[in-house]
Amino acid sequence: MKKLQLSFLVAFLFSITSFAQTDVENVESDSITILKLRNYIMQADRDAKPSVDHSTFPQLQKEFKDAHEVTAACLSCHTGRAAEVMKTNHWTWDRTEKLDGREEVALGKKNILNNFCIGIGGSEKTCTRCHIGYGWENKSFDFSNPLNVDCLICHDNSDTYKKKKGGAGYPDESVDLNFVAQSVGKPSKVNCGVCHFWGGGGNNVKHGDLDKALLNCDRSVDVHMAVEGENMSCVDCHTTDKHVMAGKLYALSSENKNRATCTHCHTDAPHKDEILNEHFIRVACQTCHIPTYAKANGTKMIWDWSTAGRLDEDGHPMHENDADGNHNYLSIKGTFVYDNDVIPEYYWFNGLADHQLITDQIDTIPVQMNTLAGSYLDKGERQRSDKPSKIWPVKVHRGKQIYDSIHNTLIQAKLHAEVKGDSAYWKDFDWHKASVAGMKYLNLPYSGKYGFVETEMYWPLNHMVAPKEKSLSCKDCHTRDGGRLAQLNDFYLPGRDKNTLLDGLGIALVVLASLGALLHGVLRIFYRKKSTSK
Amino acid sequence: MKKVYIYKIFERFWHWTQALLILILMISGFEIHSSFDLIGYQKAVELHNVSAWIFLCLIVFAIFWHFTTGEWKQYIPTTKYLKAQFNYYIGGIFTGAPHPTKKLVYDKFNPLQRLIYLGLKILVIPVQVISGFLYLYFHYPAEGMELQSLEYVAVIHTFGAFLLLAFMIAHVYLTTTGHKPGSAIKAMITGWEEMSDEEIKERVISDIEASIKKSRAQLQSNVEIGDLFEAAMNKASLNAGVSSIADTRFKDAIENSGAGYFCIGKDGNYIDVNDTWFKLYKYDAKEEIIGKHYRLSRNKEDFEELQGNIDKVLKTGQIINHGEVKRICKDGSEGYHTLTMSPVYEEAEVVGVEGFIIDTTGQLLAEREMLKKQIRINDELDKKKTSKD
Repeated sequence: MKKLQLSFLVAFLFSITSFAQTDVENVESDSITILKLRNYIMQADRDAKPSVDHSTFPQLQKEFKDAHEVTAACLSCHTGRAAEVMKTNHWTWDRTEKLDGREEVALGKKNILNNFCIGIGGSEKTCTRCHIGYGWENKSFDFSNPLNVDCLICHDNSDTYKKKKGGAGYPDESVDLNFVAQSVGKPSKVNCGVCHFWGGGGNNVKHGDLDKALLNCDRSVDVHMAVEGENMSCVDCHTTDKHVMAGKLYALSSENKNRATCTHCHTDAPHKDEILNEHFIRVACQTCHIPTYAKANGTKMIWDWSTAGRLDEDGHPMHENDADGNHNYLSIKGTFVYDNDVIPEYYWFNGLADHQLITDQIDTIPVQMNTLAGSYLDKGERQRSDKPSKIWPVKVHRGKQIYDSIHNTLIQAKLHAEVKGDSAYWKDFDWHKASVAGMKYLNLPYSGKYGFVETEMYWPLNHMVAPKEKSLSCKDCHTRDGGRLAQLNDFYLPGRDKNTLLDGLGIALVVLASLGALLHGVLRIFYRKKSTSK
Repeated sequence: MKKVYIYKIFERFWHWTQALLILILMISGFEIHSSFDLIGYQKAVELHNVSAWIFLCLIVFAIFWHFTTGEWKQYIPTTKYLKAQFNYYIGGIFTGAPHPTKKLVYDKFNPLQRLIYLGLKILVIPVQVISGFLYLYFHYPAEGMELQSLEYVAVIHTFGAFLLLAFMIAHVYLTTTGHKPGSAIKAMITGWEEMSDEEIKERVISDIEASIKKSRAQLQSNVEIGDLFEAAMNKASLNAGVSSIADTRFKDAIENSGAGYFCIGKDGNYIDVNDTWFKLYKYDAKEEIIGKHYRLSRNKEDFEELQGNIDKVLKTGQIINHGEVKRICKDGSEGYHTLTMSPVYEEAEVVGVEGFIIDTTGQLLAEREMLKKQIRINDELDKKKTSKD
C-alpha cells in the first residue's frame, strides 16, 4: 500500500513539473512575433527612389493656365483614374448608409452634422478647401466633370501645394503648378495630414489622435509612424483599391465595412499571455495600446457656440488664447476648451453608429451626434456586425450648439460668406438671420426660435499607439475605484466590482471567526489559570 | 504520554499541499478582487490560475485516495455526540472536561469535524472548482456556450473564498484545543499524535472491536479470518505505539473487547491470561492456569499442531494467524475459537508467545443449528416432492 501511495506521489509531482515545463515551452514559442504583412515593405527594404520621374514628361512641362489643365494632363496618361476617384467618398462627400436600427439615409460630409462647424451646407466655399476637387462653391458644383478632380492635393510630393482659404478647393495663387505636377508620387503623411490633421479649423482639433506631430514623431507618440522606427505612412494601413481608401471614422460612417484594423497586420493573438489574448474577444487593441491621445499638441474637448458673438469695443471680432496658445475664445465660434495627453473615455462599440440627422427630433440631452452602438450583452448577433461589441477608447467632443427650440431639431446656420450682409454668422453675428439663411439653403423649416443644446460627438481612437511598455496594465481597469472603466458599468469587471451584500456577509463571517477564536482562546487561558491557581 | 500514528503520508502531503494552495489562491484571489495590492494584478492572475490547476490535480489524487483506502467513511456525518462536541467547545473546554469524543484511527474526526469537512468537500470546494472553471472559460459573453454575465460566477466564487477563509481561521484556532496547543499541528506534520493513556485505551478498544467485527464477518464467508484479524491487531498495536500486547493499556483494552489474551513463556507455561481467556476455558480464576503448560488446552491430536506453531514463533519470531481451533476446557468440554500468536520480545530476544483468541463456539453452534434446520426442511420438501410424483 505504501508503495502504491509513493507512486502516486511521484506521479503527482511529475504532473506538476510537466505542467510547469509546458508553460515554459509556450512562452518560448510565442516570443516570435508574427505579422501578417501583405503588400507591405519593411522600412529596411524600401527603395525611396521613385520608379518614374514625372519631371521628364513633356505633358507636365507645358504651362498650365489653371488647375483643371493639370488634371487633364494627369488623366492623359492615367486614363480612367478620375472615374475611380469620382466614386469615392473623398470626392462625393456623400454616401448612402443604413443607420443602426434605422433606414438607409444619405450621409457623408455633405449631409451630416457635427458639433464643430456643424455642417458644410451654405458654407461650402470655405469647407471645400478640403475637398479633392476644384470649385465646389454651392449646390451647382458639377460632380461628374473629371477635370474638377484635384489630383495634386493627395499626390503632391513637393510639399509646396496648398489650397486657397475660402477658395472652394482651388490652389493658392502662390503654387507653381508645373513644379508640383512634376513632383507627384504616392501620398505621404503631409498630403493626408493637411486635411485630416487640420480639420475643424486647427491642428488636431477634431480627432485628437491625428496631429501634425505625427509628421515627425518618436515612438512615444506613435510606434508606427515614429521617424526612427518603421516611419509608416498613412497609406501603409489605409490601403486603397481603385482609389477607395480602407478605413473610416464614425464621425461620418455608420456601417461596419472596409475598416482598417490592427489585425490586418497583427494576429488576433499577439501576446505571450493567453489571458491578454483573450481580452481581444471584448476589448479593442486600441483600448490598452492608446492610453492617452493628443500627446504632442492639444485637442479640442469642448466647443460652446452659445457664447459666440462677443465683439471688442470697436465692434470687431476677437480671439483669446489659453496658456498653451490654443484659442479659448473666438467671437465667430464661441468658447473652447483644449486638453492634451487626454485619457480617453470608454464605450462598447460593435462597428455600427447612428447619427443625429438634421431632420431628427432631439430626444436625448446631451444630443448624441453619432451614437456608437454596442453593449456588454451585444454578442455579435446583430445583422450587420458578426463580432461582439468591444470596449473602445473614444474621444468625446462636447459641444453646445444652436437648435430650433420649437421644432426641436438641430439647426445648420449659414456661417461663411465673403462679405457682411449675406446673413453669414461669421460676418454678421446674428444667429437668427444665419439660421434662416442656412435652413432655407437646405430647404428645411425653421420656426424662428432658437436655443443652444448640449451635444456629444464620439471619435473612436485608432492612432498614437503607444510603445508596449506604456500600454495599459491590469490595474488601470481592474481596480476598485477610479479605474479607466469606472463609467462603463453594464457588466461585472473583476477587481472593480463586488456584490456589496455578499462581500459584507463574507467579511462579517471572517471577522466573526477571528473574534470567536480570540474570545474562545482568551477564555480558555483565563479558566486554565483559574483552575491551576486553585 | 504515548504517540499514536494517525495521519498517513499521503494524507499529510495532501493536507499541507492543500493548505498551501488554498493560501496562495486566497492571497492571489483577494488581490484579483482588489482587496489589497501585494504581488501585482497580472502576477496574481497567473499565480491563481497555475495554483488552481495544481489544486485540481491534487483533488483528483485525493478523491482516488479517499475511495481506495476507504477513508471517505471518515466523513460520513453523524449526529451522535454532535451536541456533546458542540457543548464541549462552548463549555467543557473551559473547565477542563475531557473531550467527548476520542481520536481514533477508525474515527479520526469528531462529529463537528465530520460535518464541516464534508461540507467543504462536497459543497464549498466543488462550488469553487466549478465557478472557477466558468470564470476561466466562460467569462466573456460571446457566441456558443456562454454566461449571460460573469457577475453570478464571480460573486459565488468570492463568497466561497470568504467561507474558506473563515473556515481556515477557525480551523487553525481549533488545532490549539488538542492535547497540547501544538500537538494537533505536530501530528499533521509527523503523522504521530500525542495521546493520553485514556485516549490510547479507547482507541485500542475501538481497533479491536473493529477487528473482531471484521473477523466475524469473514467467518461467515468461510475465509481465513486469522489473517485479517492479525493484520488488524498488528496495525492497531503499531499505531498505538505499543510494542507488546502485554502492555497494560492494551490489556485493559482487550479485556473490554471480548477477546481472550494469553502469554506463554519459553518453557511453555502460561505467564498471563486475561479474564476472558480463563472464562472461555471455564476456569474460575487465572491463578488456576498460570504456571501450567499449554498442553492442557488441547486434545492430543491438536496439541502437536499447537506445539509446532508455538515453537515456530519462538524460533523465528514469526507471527501466526490460525483459523478456528478446538479448545479443551477445564471441565473437558470443547469450544471453538480463532487464534493468533505473536512473539514477545525482551532485548531483541524472543522470550515467549502471546496472542488472542476469539470465541466462535456460539457462532459455530448457531450455524450448525441453522444447517440442521435447513437440511430437515429440504428433506421434508424432497419427501413431499417424491410423494407427489
